[in-house]
Amino acid sequence: MHILLVEDDERISGFIARALREEGHVVDVAADGKTGLTRAASESYDVIVLDRMLPLLDGLKVLQALRAMDDHTPVLILSALGDSDERVRGLRAGGDDYLAKPFALDELVARVEVLGRRRSQLALPARLAFGDVVIDPVARVVSRGGKRIELTNREFRILEYLARNAGRVVTRSMLLEHVWDYNFDPQTNIIDQHVSRLRQKLDRLGSEPLIETVRGAGYSIRQPAS
Amino acid sequence: MTLLRSLSFRLVVLYLAVFAASAATIGGFLYWVEIAQPLAEVRSGIRAEAEALDEVYRREGPGGLAAALERRAARNAPRAPYHALLDASGEAVTANLPSWPGTFVPGWKRIEADVAREGDEDEYEALVLDRRLPGGERLLLGRDVDDIDELQERVGDTMLWIVPALLILGTLGGALMSRVIGKRLEAISDAALAVIDGDLSSRIEMRGASDDFDRLAATLNLMLERLERSLEAVRRVSDSVAHELRTPVARLQTTLAEFRDRPEREGISEALAEARRLQAAIDAVLRISRIEAGRHEIVRRPVPLSELLGDVAEYYQPEAEARDQVLETDIAPALTVEGDRDLLFQGFANLLDNAVKFTPSGGRIALSAAAEGALVRIEVRDSGPGIAPEYLGRMTERFFRAPGAEGVGGLGLGLSLVAAIAGAHGSRLAFASDAGLRVTWRLPRANA
Repeated sequence: MHILLVEDDERISGFIARALREEGHVVDVAADGKTGLTRAASESYDVIVLDRMLPLLDGLKVLQALRAMDDHTPVLILSALGDSDERVRGLRAGGDDYLAKPFALDELVARVEVLGRRRSQLALPARLAFGDVVIDPVARVVSRGGKRIELTNREFRILEYLARNAGRVVTRSMLLEHVWDYNFDPQTNIIDQHVSRLRQKLDRLGSEPLIETVRGAGYSIRQPAS
Repeated sequence: MTLLRSLSFRLVVLYLAVFAASAATIGGFLYWVEIAQPLAEVRSGIRAEAEALDEVYRREGPGGLAAALERRAARNAPRAPYHALLDASGEAVTANLPSWPGTFVPGWKRIEADVAREGDEDEYEALVLDRRLPGGERLLLGRDVDDIDELQERVGDTMLWIVPALLILGTLGGALMSRVIGKRLEAISDAALAVIDGDLSSRIEMRGASDDFDRLAATLNLMLERLERSLEAVRRVSDSVAHELRTPVARLQTTLAEFRDRPEREGISEALAEARRLQAAIDAVLRISRIEAGRHEIVRRPVPLSELLGDVAEYYQPEAEARDQVLETDIAPALTVEGDRDLLFQGFANLLDNAVKFTPSGGRIALSAAAEGALVRIEVRDSGPGIAPEYLGRMTERFFRAPGAEGVGGLGLGLSLVAAIAGAHGSRLAFASDAGLRVTWRLPRANA
């Protein structure tokens, strides 16, 4: 993927750029809002990582300018302001995701990859198949080896979100935001219990575990070999 | 309040006692000057007359005495003179008293002296000295004391209505006084309660009379202002310290992450975990102060509370089951409050998090919500060990961890955050520890 990183703190932008490059992405770095906007307008990126507070031109202004130019490149906003109202403001200005500083690099990488994928696969298949596991998002039915698995609504949504982002790492906070639809800070990893229940139900009928744990980062479903 | 009430009650009682004592003193003095004293004078006057008449009797005999008595009766005196001279057989020799007791009892007595004077039949009271003379005659000698009696009666009557009137007026005055004082005291105690509740900007209302209470209020207000300013300063300092710590911790974390795949990775991941804990603590402190200081803009929207509580319970259900705990809910349907749904979710999640953490395996946790007038009462109860009463008041202190909580993970910031969220929603948390811990949160219901 071709990624634009707009961040004024050189050390932080260095780390982020390196981590993204390690994953095989091409990263351009801009150190202020004006340069960032110029870059974004002149080239086509898959994802833009945009710091909220930038010299010369504020991150939100950059975002608004981009959207005004009818540029719909997915934007991940980075901010030292972690409040939920700040987050809402960022998303309302046209941001696609929001990550509060400080963050774990894995979290950022996972989110960037999900954002990039969203763009490349706008049309999602009606049926998702992973080996012998088949998920039907419309009928909200899951089966393994032809046998139907009863899931709670929440469990289905966890599975669906993981499946839609197959091959990518989904972090715990991404699950909280998308499956629970509450933006909050889980003091303990209660979410692991939900995933472990889901796993038990899924793996009861099959030998191969479907959901993998990515140490220190989150969960993932392997992309089916097509 | 009871102390205040009893103080003003005691003041009223004291006030009435002083009032009654002064009324009794005035009454007594009046009696002594107007009644006892004149009566004593009349008595000594009659005694002197008796002595003089004894002298006449000795010199001139009964006949002379009778003549002297008649002369005395004819004399015009401010107090009408009365007499009756009876011979040894009890026959009246001379008398202007209409009647007298038949049997002789020496000493003073009162005799009704109905006398026709200036054509009017009048009833008079006479004070009479009854004596026996050496020759066997009986002499009753007296003077009219009707005016004194009348005065005594009038004073008695006056006292009879003036005492209850004074008592009533005194009670009213006392009640009024204690009410006025009570009101001023209440204003002070109201402001103090508001401060205890965390509203440091609360001030005591002044009456503008520059009286003692206004001076007291002004002094206390000055004290509150100092308190507010210094607390604000402390908050600002801890806030900016946390802020300054954020960036270095973020850098430390990214730096450490860089080395995660090196051979020394055991130590590195420990350091990384430490950095994350530090970051979490800093973030939590900043978040709490922002909410407390009202700098976190609360999004006020109607929140379907019943559903939200259901979601919170559902979120914790697997964790409770993994710990062999029973998580029960009793949530009334269609409860709506006004507020920030993310913050409210966070608040209830923290309460359940605490309950799950501190309840032993096999225990019970109950989440209930019901309408209570204009409020919604939400309660989280657990069957854990509860908390010693002396720590109940410190539950929401930052970094406070009760003794015995050492083995349980956490920073001691969870309940501080809940308290800040509750405060931002115009509500308070109440803690009770009977069978386990019980946290009650009353939120104003949305106007529906």
